[in-house]
Amino acid sequence: MSMEKIEVIIKRSEDDTQREFKVRRFSPMTILDVLLAIGRSQDATLAYRFSCRVGMCGTCLVRVNGKPVLACQTPVRDQRNLKIEAAAGFETIKDLVFDPKPFWAQWAKVIPYFVPKAGSSEIAVIPHESDERELIDPHVNCIQCGACFTACSVSGGGNDFLGPAALNRAMVLMADSRDGAGEERREIVEGESGVWRCHQALACSVVCPKGLDPAASIRKIRNRKVFKRKK
Amino acid sequence: MTQRYEVIQTDIAVIGSGGAGLFAVLKAKELRADLHITLISKGAIGRSGCTRMVQGGFNAVLNEEDSIEKHFLDTLSGGKYLNDQELAWTLVNDAPKVIHDLEVKYGCFFDRDETGRIKQKAFAGQSFDRTVHKGDLTGIEIMSRLREQLFRVKPRELEDVRALDLVVSKEGSISGVSCLDVRTGKFIFVNAKCVIVATGGAATMYKIAAPAREKTGDGVAMCLRAGLKVRDMEMLQFHPTGLLAGESRMTGAVLEEGLRGAGAFLKNASGERFMSRYDSERMERSTRDVVARASYTEIMSGRGTKGGGIYIDISHLGKDEVQHRFPGMVERTRLIGSDLSTGPVEVSPTSHFAMGGVEIGIDCETSIPGLYVAGEDSGGTHGANRLGGNGVAESTVFGSRAGIACARAIDQFELNKPDEELLQKSFARVVHVVQGEGNESPFTLTNSLKETMWENFGVVRDEKKIAIAETDLLELRSRLKKINVPKNQVFNVALNEALDLENQVEVALSMVRSGALRKETRGSHSRYDYEEADDENWLKFISYQLDDGENYLIETTPVQFTRVVPR
Repeated sequence: MSMEKIEVIIKRSEDDTQREFKVRRFSPMTILDVLLAIGRSQDATLAYRFSCRVGMCGTCLVRVNGKPVLACQTPVRDQRNLKIEAAAGFETIKDLVFDPKPFWAQWAKVIPYFVPKAGSSEIAVIPHESDERELIDPHVNCIQCGACFTACSVSGGGNDFLGPAALNRAMVLMADSRDGAGEERREIVEGESGVWRCHQALACSVVCPKGLDPAASIRKIRNRKVFKRKK
Repeated sequence: MTQRYEVIQTDIAVIGSGGAGLFAVLKAKELRADLHITLISKGAIGRSGCTRMVQGGFNAVLNEEDSIEKHFLDTLSGGKYLNDQELAWTLVNDAPKVIHDLEVKYGCFFDRDETGRIKQKAFAGQSFDRTVHKGDLTGIEIMSRLREQLFRVKPRELEDVRALDLVVSKEGSISGVSCLDVRTGKFIFVNAKCVIVATGGAATMYKIAAPAREKTGDGVAMCLRAGLKVRDMEMLQFHPTGLLAGESRMTGAVLEEGLRGAGAFLKNASGERFMSRYDSERMERSTRDVVARASYTEIMSGRGTKGGGIYIDISHLGKDEVQHRFPGMVERTRLIGSDLSTGPVEVSPTSHFAMGGVEIGIDCETSIPGLYVAGEDSGGTHGANRLGGNGVAESTVFGSRAGIACARAIDQFELNKPDEELLQKSFARVVHVVQGEGNESPFTLTNSLKETMWENFGVVRDEKKIAIAETDLLELRSRLKKINVPKNQVFNVALNEALDLENQVEVALSMVRSGALRKETRGSHSRYDYEEADDENWLKFISYQLDDGENYLIETTPVQFTRVVPR
């Protein structure tokens, strides 16, 4: 029977220790199910975060065996050992719960919100097959989970690099013909904390749970694809 | 013992950071940039709750061939004429304006047709294909864009802060919101001139349930404790196609309605398209209440799958087509080892949405001046059954109206001193849980709640079962007093579960008591012992109100057909 159990090591924040749990395996099962099994029937002091459990809210980011993943979107199949820790690069509030403040601080810097062009009052007519949407569409549906931010060797180090998620968002806005903050945003993302700090190590694109490619967004800003189209 | 607390003074306190809450903030700021607004959210701001989880989309009249009247009649017909017609009329009239705001002001980009105009798709119960969407994950687009706008208008954000109670002054005017900071375990009192309640419903109280974790009826429970009237509480919608994933938390997650709109079949274990026996005309595109009841009957009559479900099958559209049109849904099924694009997937009705809620006027005003309620926390808009695509429309339309109404009225309201006794009583609820030395686990009690609601107040009910549900709930309420949780208040998951549960049990009681009274089948309230709708006696809505915490008042009021008489 013990073969049926998964050995789970969780890094606890209180005394910076690791605790081991044995969890009964069932199928289908995700990392979130493992956390719920522990928190609800073995150790009620364990702190973890989740909301939607279907990969839409992005709040259950944890590190499993060293890799940043969404707990709810990561299946447990035949693994016997799991090590679960809080995501790297953030201040831990308790156990697996971290404060996403640094992620949002960088996000806020790129004028992350849509600024309507002066005088626009109608819903824009833009076909799906337009150049604009071809440029943008592969880069939408970011859920702001922070996986890319923590995986990036530059932004994850706690310096001022804007990071993959914020730059991905900036690219989408810069390529959007309806947005009117283009020049100001361009100066920010091409500035000293911007796209030229990226090493193109592609860790961001590897870990994105939504399959997005922020590194490609950064390249699109670098080679000014987003501006060529707008002329 | 008197609890210490921090005071935050603000013009408007908004509780909840889903579609309704964020729209309220943005609209109030648009009208009055000088206002100080405090946004209280027990989860991550803009990322908790259910607007984020919207899949299929948003109903709004945008096409010349469609009309506001058609959307209105569809909404009433779906709601079995139990709707507050003024709220429903407001919904359908404002929905296109909100779509306009989302696209033009906030930068959402919804799916387009070949000509570049917004493409609307088919949802059930509609006389015109009017559901605006972004693929099959529309909520991410809406909530991400709204959340970003907060960086522009900069409200005070209280993230991971749980609202406990609405607190009034000694004279009975609104004074603010008592809160628990989940991160630190400290108490806060948000002293506000106006409060907007927008927390969302309580549909998580079922064994198979769709919503996000946060949806525990906090808003309705707070309003009940503050003495407000709620209506239509027996009307709890089951979405017909919730994923069955065994013990996994994925169980109950919705497979979106657009699948049925696009021609998906529902089959029982022997492969029969059973909807032909329940609604041969509309088949799988019948409204949610009808399809959920049919599926439940199939399952209960032994024609379901071994796992206790039925099948949804859209693979006849072809793998590429399904993958292209429903990428999020396909991914969701693959995660649990099946595949929507190539074969049938096991589903069950899943608890989804509360039609019932606080009685409001068209500007979300309540019987307490300065207190507003918007979105799923309110009742009346959808009547006995909500149409798919009208949910996010409701949150955003009424969130928007509440924000505007508050900003317009703000100068009439003052910052009132709280009744200190009430404030301390509210904090004491938390202290009682933390200091409790009983032997009850909040997680076990939550499971008991989910079991009894599913078994006894589920898709189809009868008198005996409803009575069992009430007895179970009363027992749960007393067991809650013996709860035991870890004592460290920093991000205490168990403590928060217990506080959620207190709210859920209060809301559940209002549901079963209202359900016991309604001796007919209407919309989402189905009964084995009264299988037909009784228009003669039951075109009435049920109001419920707490008297002194333990006792309650319940009454019926004939629906006012202010615009259309049922046909």
